[in-house]
Amino acid sequence: MASNARGGAVAVHPYHQGGPALTGAELMAANPYRPWPARITSITELTATEKLFEFRFIDDAIRDAFCHAPGQFVELSLFGVGEAPISISSSPTKKGFIELCVRRAGRFTERLHRMQCGETVGIRGPFGRGFPLEAMRGHDVLLVAGGLGIAPLRSLINNIHDCRSEFGKVTIIYGSRNPQEVMFRHQFEMWRHRKDFDLYLTVDHADDTWDGEEGLVTKPFEHLEIDAANTFGALCGPPVMYRFVVQEMRKKGIPYDRIYMSFERHMKCGVGKCGHCQVGHQYCCIDGPVFNYWEAKNIQGSM
Amino acid sequence: MLYRVIDRADVPSLVAAFMERYEVVAPVRRGEKYVFEAVSDFDEIALDYPTTIASPKKYFLPATETLFAFDARENAVTDYVDEVRPRVLFGVHACDINGIMNLNSVFNDPRYPDPYYRAHEDATLIVGVSCTPTDTCFCHLMDSEEARPGYDLFLNAIGDRYLVSIGSVTAANILESACDVREATDADRAAFRAATRARQRAFNPAIPDVQEIPMLMDAFHEDAFWDELGGRCLSCNACASVCPTCYCFDIRDTLDPGAETGRRERVWDACTSPQFAMVAGGHNFRATPAARVRHRMYHKLNGFLATHDRSLCVGCGRCAAACKVDISPIAVLEFFERKGADDGE
Repeated sequence: MASNARGGAVAVHPYHQGGPALTGAELMAANPYRPWPARITSITELTATEKLFEFRFIDDAIRDAFCHAPGQFVELSLFGVGEAPISISSSPTKKGFIELCVRRAGRFTERLHRMQCGETVGIRGPFGRGFPLEAMRGHDVLLVAGGLGIAPLRSLINNIHDCRSEFGKVTIIYGSRNPQEVMFRHQFEMWRHRKDFDLYLTVDHADDTWDGEEGLVTKPFEHLEIDAANTFGALCGPPVMYRFVVQEMRKKGIPYDRIYMSFERHMKCGVGKCGHCQVGHQYCCIDGPVFNYWEAKNIQGSM
Repeated sequence: MLYRVIDRADVPSLVAAFMERYEVVAPVRRGEKYVFEAVSDFDEIALDYPTTIASPKKYFLPATETLFAFDARENAVTDYVDEVRPRVLFGVHACDINGIMNLNSVFNDPRYPDPYYRAHEDATLIVGVSCTPTDTCFCHLMDSEEARPGYDLFLNAIGDRYLVSIGSVTAANILESACDVREATDADRAAFRAATRARQRAFNPAIPDVQEIPMLMDAFHEDAFWDELGGRCLSCNACASVCPTCYCFDIRDTLDPGAETGRRERVWDACTSPQFAMVAGGHNFRATPAARVRHRMYHKLNGFLATHDRSLCVGCGRCAAACKVDISPIAVLEFFERKGADDGE
């Protein structure tokens, strides 16, 4: 930090303040813009355009200090290309590793998709307010994902899976455009036979390979039976999906403040400053990205 | 607050005393207008300036600032040492001091204090000076016509002397060493009151004093007014550049020649830029100029108030002077005034 030196310029070390060694949490807090090196430990091809990357922080102190909630995101750095906000796909119960599901959609993600296991990236975070897991405990949960929206919801789904007995009835609706775009298909195919998850996989346009439902992600609501007073809704998907799914959840009687949704915006700084992710008076990066419907209704331009 | 009185004739020695230890930045005449820039002599300073083209925010949030250096081959951060110049902003108006206070509350947010901003803030002294409103000034409508905290010294002009409010020990020491400092008398206080009232009377009466601005911003969020206002917008970002409280930025990597090393920088950006709210894949959450202009006004006049309990706009009027197509909060206030008159009939 700046000293009281006079005359010429003062040296500022934005990374460390001198003195005793800092803990991992203190290191991360000292400069929230500083990415920490992480190694790619696994790459799984999910679809033609999406891959699941698994990362591990190289620094022990950072790895131990990193803990996230489902719905939070990180800023991923490829130095020279830039930075991108990506929601965390792994459950907090999976310690020591972070999984990010990334669609190849631009210059940054093109480069990432060309990377190999063992290569290094920069990661800072986690940022944002995730899903209210503590409040959800003891209740039924209805999760609705559309397309890439499964990425953040998978963190919540896997977290619930790992402490399944702490939740009531769990219903998952996951809609994709076509069978080729269904992500984590292997995991969900296995789950279709489980008794402790009600799983509905839908595609807008079916083909010969598909034996699930055909129709929009709202279709399963037609025959869904839920205990509305005891249910939390959680949804994530393309912007156009929100209005319709929220409408269905409201029709079923889920209270305004128990319908949680994750907003997609371009969080550039992640720390409530750069303004890119502003919705109305809120910043997705620190006030969200997960908002409940009551909050969303009170944010100008949110839906 | 501690108050003392100095003679106008003492100000050059005050500036000289600051110059011994600090870079002094002050309003300087440039053609018909004024700008903040570093000065080396008191005579360069135009202390009775009306307003400057741009605000002094660049001394806290530079237009381009390096966050760190990196090695692109290793894909790793290399240690980076920033340099901050100890500086005195000399002759800052109350609106700009309030603007800096607004930036402080964003960048010093206890959840994520910004180390770069903090370094600039720690290295900067602020000497305020009282002013006479221009035709586009409306700080009095934004509760920003007075600077309460936020300065080291504030020079209130009272005839041939200044009633000086002293806000910090550092500045008090320099003031006392450089000037013949007196206690304020009843006559000084009477002159201060007269000067304050004269300023209050000098505001442009054509700018309407609208009550309940936040409520009206919400009530008329869907009004066709925004299409009309935004339809004129050239997306030039002049408003954001001159604004003391526009703090949005982009983060980008700049490679050195050879593309092996580079710097991550933050550069000023503005919500009036067409691609500002675009996400990966191309969806733009504010695709029209109308949506962008409305968002900017919403943040200035309502949104910031909801989260920080004060208006982000400080009424400095610079955007009204900078905009080529007459878009500014003044146009919004006039719209609300018209609406109020319509509804009354």
